[in-house]
Amino acid sequence: MANTSAGASAEGKSETVDTKKSETVDTTKAGAVDTTKAGTVDTKKAEVEETASATVTTGADDRDAVFSVRHLWKVFGPKAKRVPADKELAGLSAAELTERTGCTAAVRDVSFDVQRGEVFVVMGLSGSGKSTLVRTLTRLIEPTSGSISFDGEDVLALDKGKLRELRRHRAAMVFQNFGLLPHRSVLDNVAYGLEIQGVGKAERRAKAQEIVEKVGLAGMEHRRPTQLSGGQQQRVGLARALAVDPEVLLFDEPFSALDPLIRRDMQEEVIRLHREEGRTMVFITHDLSEALRLGDRIMLMRGGEIVQLGTPEEIVANPADEYVRDFVRDVPREQVISVRRAMRPADAEETGSGAALAPDTLVVDAIEAVARSGEHCRVVEGGRTLGVVDHAQLLSVVAGLDDEADAADKKAATV
Amino acid sequence: MSAAPTETPVLDKRDRITHSGSESPPAAPGFWARLAGNPKAVLLVAALLVAVIAALAGGSGIWPKDLTFDLRTPLTDLNEWLVDNRDTHPLFLYFLLHISNTAQSAVDSVVLGLENLGFIGVTVAAVLVAWAAGGAGLQRRALRTAGTALGAFGLIGLLGMWEPAMETVGLMVVCVVVAALVGVVLGMISGLSDRGERILRPVFDTMQVLPAFSYLLPFVLIFDVGTPSAFVTTVIYAAPPMARLTSLGLRGADAAALEASQSLGATYRQQLFTARLPLARKQMLLGLNQTIMMCLSMVVLASMIGAGGLGEEIYRSLSILDTGQSLTAGIAIVLIAIWLDRTTAVVGERLDDPAAATRRNRSWLPWAVVAAATAGATAVGTALGKLEWPDNWVVSISEPVNSVVDWIESELGSGIPVLGGTLTWASGFAEYVINPLRDALQATPWWALLLVAGVLAYAVGRWKAAVTAVLALGVIGGMGLWTRSMDTLSQVIAALAVTLLLGFAIGVLAGRVDRVERAIRPLLDTLQTIPQFVYLIPMVALFSGGRTAGVASAVLYALPAVVRITNQGIRQIDPAALEASRSLGASTGQQLRQVQLPLARPSLLLAVNQGVVLVLSMVVIAGMIGGGALGVDVVKGLAKGDLALGMTAGIAIVCLGVLLDRISQPGADVKKRGL
Repeated sequence: MANTSAGASAEGKSETVDTKKSETVDTTKAGAVDTTKAGTVDTKKAEVEETASATVTTGADDRDAVFSVRHLWKVFGPKAKRVPADKELAGLSAAELTERTGCTAAVRDVSFDVQRGEVFVVMGLSGSGKSTLVRTLTRLIEPTSGSISFDGEDVLALDKGKLRELRRHRAAMVFQNFGLLPHRSVLDNVAYGLEIQGVGKAERRAKAQEIVEKVGLAGMEHRRPTQLSGGQQQRVGLARALAVDPEVLLFDEPFSALDPLIRRDMQEEVIRLHREEGRTMVFITHDLSEALRLGDRIMLMRGGEIVQLGTPEEIVANPADEYVRDFVRDVPREQVISVRRAMRPADAEETGSGAALAPDTLVVDAIEAVARSGEHCRVVEGGRTLGVVDHAQLLSVVAGLDDEADAADKKAATV
Repeated sequence: MSAAPTETPVLDKRDRITHSGSESPPAAPGFWARLAGNPKAVLLVAALLVAVIAALAGGSGIWPKDLTFDLRTPLTDLNEWLVDNRDTHPLFLYFLLHISNTAQSAVDSVVLGLENLGFIGVTVAAVLVAWAAGGAGLQRRALRTAGTALGAFGLIGLLGMWEPAMETVGLMVVCVVVAALVGVVLGMISGLSDRGERILRPVFDTMQVLPAFSYLLPFVLIFDVGTPSAFVTTVIYAAPPMARLTSLGLRGADAAALEASQSLGATYRQQLFTARLPLARKQMLLGLNQTIMMCLSMVVLASMIGAGGLGEEIYRSLSILDTGQSLTAGIAIVLIAIWLDRTTAVVGERLDDPAAATRRNRSWLPWAVVAAATAGATAVGTALGKLEWPDNWVVSISEPVNSVVDWIESELGSGIPVLGGTLTWASGFAEYVINPLRDALQATPWWALLLVAGVLAYAVGRWKAAVTAVLALGVIGGMGLWTRSMDTLSQVIAALAVTLLLGFAIGVLAGRVDRVERAIRPLLDTLQTIPQFVYLIPMVALFSGGRTAGVASAVLYALPAVVRITNQGIRQIDPAALEASRSLGASTGQQLRQVQLPLARPSLLLAVNQGVVLVLSMVVIAGMIGGGALGVDVVKGLAKGDLALGMTAGIAIVCLGVLLDRISQPGADVKKRGL
């Protein structure tokens, strides 16, 4: 009896010690998290403002915006409307918000423009709200607040019929899990969107046939989706979206379910289609290399908010914060950064010699040119020499040392 | 308490507690400590103790007279009113009579149509329909299905059962069409609307628990004995599976496909017809298959209320103990069941096989062939003047069967040295298993049983289940059917014990040994297509009726489902868990005890629940062959049109069903029916 009680008390003691320990650890952790969070939040906010102003300025150039999204919120949960409206609730962190209101904010106060003809990549880890965001664009998920305009038209004000028209003709989506109809042949799956529009059988089949050939599925028209490989199934999904000839293609992580090799094929297919047709694309992905490969501009999201928005080069060369820096740490910089960013001002004598490179030449290509010629290369735009690159510049890009130089440059420029 | 071990492994302790829910584990050290950790188990043990002590203390098991209410008088009044007003009251004239007349004329015209086709025409039509369902052409699947149909109809003719079989098929056709339509409509309501689901779901669930037998009688009084009441009861009995699976299919449709259709701008209607319903096709076909099988089961059972056909042959010959004749009709029914099952199942198989779907054949062509060939065969039959199955083509098996049965009774019935014999076993089982059980139940005071039932239901479910269980028992007692219901209950418990013992053993064996599974699968498939009524026949032959025969047929009827669910449960567990235990060097017994059985627990609980429901429905039907108790009251009520007798027994059966379902129902998450 004594034995057991002693054992029990000992156990109890050790337990209390344990809990104490864990408690203290917890608090310190929480404290640490809090401080860091506060820091990032601040910087993030600053960044968001900066990028927002940047987009506004770039939006003023000759291209016009297809999608224009302002202060968009999507909150799931009871009485979701009150969250964006209430300044105090809107400022809470995700965990605090859930605790106080039972709501989760999937998209928080997001503003951006998608330019006509560009590939706009939304990138983030799972739970960052990117899939929700793309669905709010055609109101497959109703946003909680904010505004979306499509070609200047207010999407949130559309009635059911007009919204259907938008979905039928102007924006088509490609899904992660394909969403094919197993009881239909490939051809009828591709023609499905046209069938919904009410296009006659002969006409829609002819159109579908054309698209099937375009995406490289010729000869498989009469198979069923279950008889195709994953890559082929997604080609059908792509063809289905293309068949309705939409203004904008929306991709929701279309290739994450595919093998790496096939993924690469499909990415090239998308690049090819974009080159040929110049269609506007909004592309959701969690894969950084995919984002860098496809995107004209990349919007990085985290916890429903925009962390950074810019060209792949801007993001790799100038990460907005530690989170982004971590993200792009392993990116081969020479394959993303162009010589425009790497060059230094030319001396008087250097302007006369060396091979000429366009300013958007990638560093990796410049390395080859420099190695071959053994001397510096000139960066030339419109017959004017902007600067030169030699071993030192190129190596510092590869080594990741250009960052500080870059920052110094910026400072100099502003001064 | 001091017996608590100093080093009780915590894991072991937790494991044990989850197990001691219903059965008491052997008194290992620390047993009481473990028990004390589980309040539900303490409650249960206490309730059982109270019951046993109260029974031993000589408490009377009779439900007190003061607590009964009189249901018989109002029921008798209603009965008389119904009989008096059946032809005059506006409710009948303008509503119920229309249903009854429409059903009657529909069935009559189908039967007449089958007669006019002649046996050649019907056989050709059945064979070709099976062929077309199998995908037409010369593929193996189509030919095999067609061969099954040809064999089934040829044998039915040879057995001399052609005419009653056609009556059964005629009634079947009408019932299946209506039941499927009703099922699809209800299924769409519950599949597309959440409110519809909330309202209909409990109805379907309850329908599945009710033994068909219990609700025949009211319809007999409304529609009188004959085809219409058979039609109505069959439709009510057979529509729920169709509705349930339609709803399941609609709700389970691939979300991505639905979203894709929405993103392309489909309207609700377009989405329903191009994506949702086609995606539910497979489930709906499964539902149709189940509905057809339940229709057949009920059409046969409804012979007791004048449905005619093969069921009537069985009913009549069972009542004069002509085993040979009833077996002949039973075989004919099984043949029809196999034909229907194969023909509908093969359509589902074809959907699964993309290669078959790719073959682009004109879908109307096989059906044109069916129509043309049937017309041709009918013309030939009419020209030859052979519409009815020729008498000289009949091979009677009833005489030889009867002599075999006689031989069994005289040679195997009793007097075999050491072993005894079937009749000896039967009376032994009745005397040493069923009787003590019944006596115990009847000797236990009613309040103690209510307590045990309530606590049991609370232990497996929640307060709601406990209240329902106690209320159900209370209604039984209140109607004054306590003693008879305890009789039925004792048979159910005996049958259930045997079923679970055999079912778990076979199921676990099949789950572990592939060869066993392959061997018993076709047997299980066949057993599950056989209508309830047919199970009685061999048992009468072996045990010549009585309670043991009833229990044996209930065991046989419930066994396939229990074996199947157990087998699936064992096979569905995570192979990684099993592999891990094997890699640690666990013996077969250890694997089974520590991994397979605990992980298959939800399936085992589901098997118990299914077993209970199936056993009860069969024990009740076995009232016809001498099972006595509530079942025989229903039969008597039906035969005499006595609402007071039959209806109260029916209600008592329903209450027993609800009670047994509640105390055996696993949590809502594992409650998936239709396995």
